[in-house]
Amino acid sequence: MRKGFWDGKRRYVALLMLIAGIFVALRVPPVVPIIQLPGEKYPPGTIELPFGLGVMTNTLMMSIIVWILLVILALYVRSRRPKSGAEVPRGGFYNLFEMVFEGLYGFVSGLAPERYFRPIFGMFMTIFLIVLLSNWAELLPGIDSVGFIEPHYEIVVDEETGEAQHVPTDGWEIYPAFLGGWALNGQCDWVSPEAEAQADADAFASAEQAAEEARAEAELELKQAGGHGEEATEAAAEESGHGEEATASTIDPDARAEEAFREAEAAYVAQKQARRDRGCYTGVAQIAWSDLDAKNFSDTTVEDDHAATEDEVAADAEHGETTDDLAAAGEEPSEENGGEEEEFHVDPNDPEQRKAWPFVVLPYIRSPSTDLNMTLALALSAMAMVQVIGFQALGLGYLRKFFAFENLFKSPLGAIDVFVGLLELIGEFAKVLSFAFRLLGNIFAGSILLFVMSFLVTVMPWPFFMLEFFVGIIQALVFALLTAIFMSLATVSHHHDDEHGEHAEEGAH
Amino acid sequence: MEQAQALIILGKAIGAGIAMIGALGGGIGIGLAVSGAVQAMGRNPDHTPTIQTNMILGVAFAEAVAIYALVVALIILFVLQ
Amino acid sequence: MSPLDNLGINPGFLLVQIIAFIVLYTLLTRFIYDPLVNVLRERRARIAKGLEDAEAAAKARMNAENEAEKIRADARAEASKIIEEARQRAEQVGKDVEAAARQEAEKIRADARAAAAAERDAQLAGLRDQVVNIAVALSQRLIGGTLDAKRQKELVKDFFAKVPAEAKSLSGSVEVVSAMPLEDAEQQLVKKELGVDDVTFTVDPNILGGLVIRAGDRVVDGSVRSNLNKLASSLN
Repeated sequence: MRKGFWDGKRRYVALLMLIAGIFVALRVPPVVPIIQLPGEKYPPGTIELPFGLGVMTNTLMMSIIVWILLVILALYVRSRRPKSGAEVPRGGFYNLFEMVFEGLYGFVSGLAPERYFRPIFGMFMTIFLIVLLSNWAELLPGIDSVGFIEPHYEIVVDEETGEAQHVPTDGWEIYPAFLGGWALNGQCDWVSPEAEAQADADAFASAEQAAEEARAEAELELKQAGGHGEEATEAAAEESGHGEEATASTIDPDARAEEAFREAEAAYVAQKQARRDRGCYTGVAQIAWSDLDAKNFSDTTVEDDHAATEDEVAADAEHGETTDDLAAAGEEPSEENGGEEEEFHVDPNDPEQRKAWPFVVLPYIRSPSTDLNMTLALALSAMAMVQVIGFQALGLGYLRKFFAFENLFKSPLGAIDVFVGLLELIGEFAKVLSFAFRLLGNIFAGSILLFVMSFLVTVMPWPFFMLEFFVGIIQALVFALLTAIFMSLATVSHHHDDEHGEHAEEGAH
Repeated sequence: MEQAQALIILGKAIGAGIAMIGALGGGIGIGLAVSGAVQAMGRNPDHTPTIQTNMILGVAFAEAVAIYALVVALIILFVLQ
Repeated sequence: MSPLDNLGINPGFLLVQIIAFIVLYTLLTRFIYDPLVNVLRERRARIAKGLEDAEAAAKARMNAENEAEKIRADARAEASKIIEEARQRAEQVGKDVEAAARQEAEKIRADARAAAAAERDAQLAGLRDQVVNIAVALSQRLIGGTLDAKRQKELVKDFFAKVPAEAKSLSGSVEVVSAMPLEDAEQQLVKKELGVDDVTFTVDPNILGGLVIRAGDRVVDGSVRSNLNKLASSLN
């Protein structure tokens, strides 16, 4: 074997990549993505599909990549294949492909009748290749974690006015990661400004309540202690014996109230500060708390908040953000309520908009096998081809498989034949769903497993990648093999007086 | 509103969990199929390819049931609104 | 919001997905599946053919090996046959050589025996005169008279070369055994008396005197020894 440049050096490359992976994982901790079954739509304004197909989805994008890869494979094999059986394969990737191809050829030639070998093998190989590449797509690094950082919202249509409105749902805050890109902050789930204002108000209310309680308590103590004061005459009469001027003068209800208020405020501020320490925004806290000034309480926390906010803005500016962007902040997204989706746009570079929306990752590509469109399309094609080859082999006699009325009046078991035929007819439709959901379930569950494991172990979820590698092969093989078997079975008649059937049966054994 | 949301999540989680009980049958079936196939291959190593093909088929059919359960669970969790 | 919206089903997107699926199906079938399946089938056919060829080659090799084995076996059989023949021939040669040697030896022995016999005959011939002379001298002393020397020699001749009467009917090849070598004249006489030309003369001192004549399986014993034996047995 030729000694190449990479011989013996690959391990160091792998080691470097592992270390780089650890650093990236530390810099951008993985975030459990929003799980949804339909393929994620690309953000408006990126790729629009012609013929009214709407917006590109990431599963369709990966499907297109798979198709392109297969076309490249076809051209490659065409250029490299031996021109006759006398030639020996030329080595490299072609050799691997031919080895796999020959194995599958042997596999199918063992079960397909020779007469229908060509279509059966063609279906088998095409399905195998498409499904295999689609399944393995889930193994690509970053397939679930790299994508558009997009605001997450629902469109709610007002029933009365018919106006559509973008309502933020759940998601994460984002922060600038590197290379001018944004990353989700897995530590900080997004809290809407309203919710935060509500929380502030609640905290303020509870602090006020604490202050009131403290004041009431102090006044009670005051009454008990001194008995003086115009509102506590009865109490003073009762407890005149031990009223003390000095004690009473030390109890200041206002001071006690302010103290209690400050305590509650400090606890809440500490909570918010902890959140900020994790890298989150604290939203509109200072606005809510500045209301305290109106209550004549001296403010100690607002300064900190302002300082932190300025730091943040400065940090944002470092990451390629200009003051122009700040100045040219777009329209208020919450006010946007037009039905036109294209007009809806959130600019993460605008701090106001950035804080106003929850963000999620919208992966650029996703394994097509996790999209029902792809699996259902393959299942429909496969079962349609089964019917086609059935008619081709048996002619209209193929229908006798499903509508077995001929024995109905001849034999007492004729009714059972009819029933079995109808069951087979239903079975043909069940097979479509079975095909579609088997592949979808396996690969969807596999990709969820992979990113959940990546989230949990972060650096080395490799065993699961190995597992999914083999699951990908096996599912592709199962899909293709079942298609080939159903096609082989469709060429065989139930009735042995049929010459086609006998021929096919001969070939099948 | 908050409680209704929590109840929905609770219902989804319980429903998905119950749906996944169906995977039990698939697991048992796959175990039986592979056990039989491995014994057959041990006794009859010459017929390994045939046995393997049939085993994969049987496993696929048995697994299909478990996958239906999984799909139902996934639909409950991620599709039902 | 309708339930369909909640599930994210959008008919437009659904349609887009289905159209994209159909387009991809046709495109991929045209660009990937058909050509690649053809290539795969062709390659499989080639491999199958290659396997078949290899099998045929293996079979051919097996045949060749069998052939070679057969040839080797034939060669081995041939070789062992040749070796056997060579061994037999060698054995034969050995036997011949041995026979020749034995013959030679026999001849040498016979020659030696003949030479020894000739020597002995010569000595016995020399001895004969002495014996005659001793016998004459002895008889002169015993009888006290003097026999005519010529007459004595006749007697002695008679003693040694008297052909028994029964022997005159013999025919064929005849062997005449005498105690002393016969002189030529005596031999002629014996021949004449026997009436047979084919006569071999051998000497055996053990018979003391007279002649033993053998013709085939008939033996006429006219030897002194047998007379003495007869005398001894009749005296007893």
